[in-house]
Amino acid sequence: MSRSVRYSSSPLLASKTPVWRSKFIVAAIAMGFAVLAARAAHVQIFGNAFFQRQGEVRFVRTLELPASRGRIMDRNGLILASNIPAASIWAIPEDVTATPAQLKELAQLLEIPLAELSSKLGNEDKSFVWLKRQVEEPVAKRITELGLKGIHQDSGFKRQYPDGEATAHVIGFTNIENTGLDGMELTFEKHLLGRAGSRRVIKDGKGRVVEDIRDKVPPVDGKDLQLSLDSKVQFFAYQKLRETVTAQKAKGGSVVVLDAVTGEVLALANYPSYMPDKRKNLTGEQLRNRAVTDTFEPGSTMKPITVAMALESGRVTPQTLIDTGPGRYAIGGFNITDKHNYGTLTVEGVIQKSSNVGALKIAQKMSPHEMWDTFTALGYGQKPQIQFRGAVTGRVRPWKTWRPVDQATMSYGYGLSASLFQMAHSYTTFAHDGRIIPLTMLKSTEPAVGVKVFSPENAQAVRRMLQMAAAPGGTGQLAQTVGYSVGGKSGTAHKQVGKGYASDKYRAWFAGMAPIDTPRIIVAVMIDEPSNGQYFGGVVAAPVFSEVVQQTLRLMNVQPDVTVKPQIVANPVEESL
Amino acid sequence: MIRVNVLLLVAVVLSALYLVHTQYESRRLFVELEKAALQMRKLEMESESALAEKRAQATPMRVDKLAKEKLQMQPATPAITQYVAYRDTAAAPVPVKP
Repeated sequence: MSRSVRYSSSPLLASKTPVWRSKFIVAAIAMGFAVLAARAAHVQIFGNAFFQRQGEVRFVRTLELPASRGRIMDRNGLILASNIPAASIWAIPEDVTATPAQLKELAQLLEIPLAELSSKLGNEDKSFVWLKRQVEEPVAKRITELGLKGIHQDSGFKRQYPDGEATAHVIGFTNIENTGLDGMELTFEKHLLGRAGSRRVIKDGKGRVVEDIRDKVPPVDGKDLQLSLDSKVQFFAYQKLRETVTAQKAKGGSVVVLDAVTGEVLALANYPSYMPDKRKNLTGEQLRNRAVTDTFEPGSTMKPITVAMALESGRVTPQTLIDTGPGRYAIGGFNITDKHNYGTLTVEGVIQKSSNVGALKIAQKMSPHEMWDTFTALGYGQKPQIQFRGAVTGRVRPWKTWRPVDQATMSYGYGLSASLFQMAHSYTTFAHDGRIIPLTMLKSTEPAVGVKVFSPENAQAVRRMLQMAAAPGGTGQLAQTVGYSVGGKSGTAHKQVGKGYASDKYRAWFAGMAPIDTPRIIVAVMIDEPSNGQYFGGVVAAPVFSEVVQQTLRLMNVQPDVTVKPQIVANPVEESL
Repeated sequence: MIRVNVLLLVAVVLSALYLVHTQYESRRLFVELEKAALQMRKLEMESESALAEKRAQATPMRVDKLAKEKLQMQPATPAITQYVAYRDTAAAPVPVKP
């Protein structure tokens, strides 16, 4: 049995509640709301900016959207430089817990000595250390698979150069931040470089992006660059140069191949070279773009220019007779000699036999001022207008300081200096009917517009002389090719050492063009210090010229202009019944 | 009056729930979009490196070496080239006698 309480009759309830109590409660609640309202007003109106900022600090992030660097391509669209993904590996030393075996494997993957890795990770004072930057993707993947604590990766890109050492001097390279340091990578830095974009996002607690809070600024990728270079010609030129430099035990060499119509540089190779993506322990010898940075006295290759000047002034014709006997000439206390006594030669013969005495006698018909003007018009002593940083000017002294002996030596290429590139450039005058054309490293399809230096007739006359010089009886007959007519001039000079000339150090070169009637290409070859017994340009450099010309014209689909005895031999096939 | 209020309250609650749902859905889709964008970038990168790899496998240097060593080929010269004169395609074909 239970006893029930009768609440209605409870004496407590029976007592009357004072009104102030309920009023007090209502007031308290109202007060609570007022406080909340005030707080809300404070947060949302007065302190809005502060709280907004605090919120952003906790959840909003600005992400950089990297722009990729433009690619470099050759004239046919083949890639010469592109980007491949590469990760950078870093570590927080105090977080790293790895077994010695794991560390050993990591060191192997990173291709660094174990001791170096250990010392990097041993420094626990540092909260961040790069282990290796720009590691290729497959290696980075394997490092991820190791699953080591405290080892992290940042993704990025690195530059790749498929043609390697063959194009190294032209393309150049970038540093670890992908900034161009040399060659076209440096010259066209602005063109290749993109502009990074950015976006503001909200990240959730797990670090995932959950919302864009502003329109994103899209990255602007760098623009691609199409060069005038032909990767096949470049490779071939480099290969022939390397073979010759090695065979001749030379110090180095360069080849320049120009398009005689458009002024494009089709190939520019130097040896020794280097791999642009493996740049440890490089020497200046390897890094130097000799074709544009090394100057030397052009020697006999200047003779055609001297003759062209004289023809242009109307003081000689190709058939004018010049007495070069007895093969030497004394001027200003110096004795200028020829290899043999050639007797009386025509102007053509002076080029064909490469007579120093003949050249100086032709030069004596002109004033220093005239000669200086022509040299300058041909780009000697002028900074080449080409997209290479560090292209040198060479040296031609002001004509007022020339003594008669200076004028005489300059007529056959001594007493002034130029780079191989300048020399090839000056020869565009002969190839382009007397007009010197601007050169470019960028692809162009329009024929170049040149500046007149010589008349078309005189340019043709010099081309004929160059053809003779490269024909049997001339100094450069090894320049002959199968199928194409060539013309060119060899040169050999003692190297300057200190103030004088070294008696046993030479530089040999050959500059010429083909096909000779309507030249399509100009090729200049220089071999530095050939020391395998031979050192004449006609012997050392001309064969390189020959092979490069032949291969280049064939690649350009130029039909042979010389009849060729075909050597097509069909294998005899046994007749069947 | 009370009925209207209750109706409004229900409407507000439903709308609030729908808002939560929409917000959730929007974030989910956004994350998916992000994933797809990442995937796109990754594929782009892969295609770029595949192209680079293809190019690296076909450099003149490598082709030359393989052609010479494996196939015993040699550079062509005009002496072993048969040049064929270009004939206008508009020219009538030569009738063939039976």
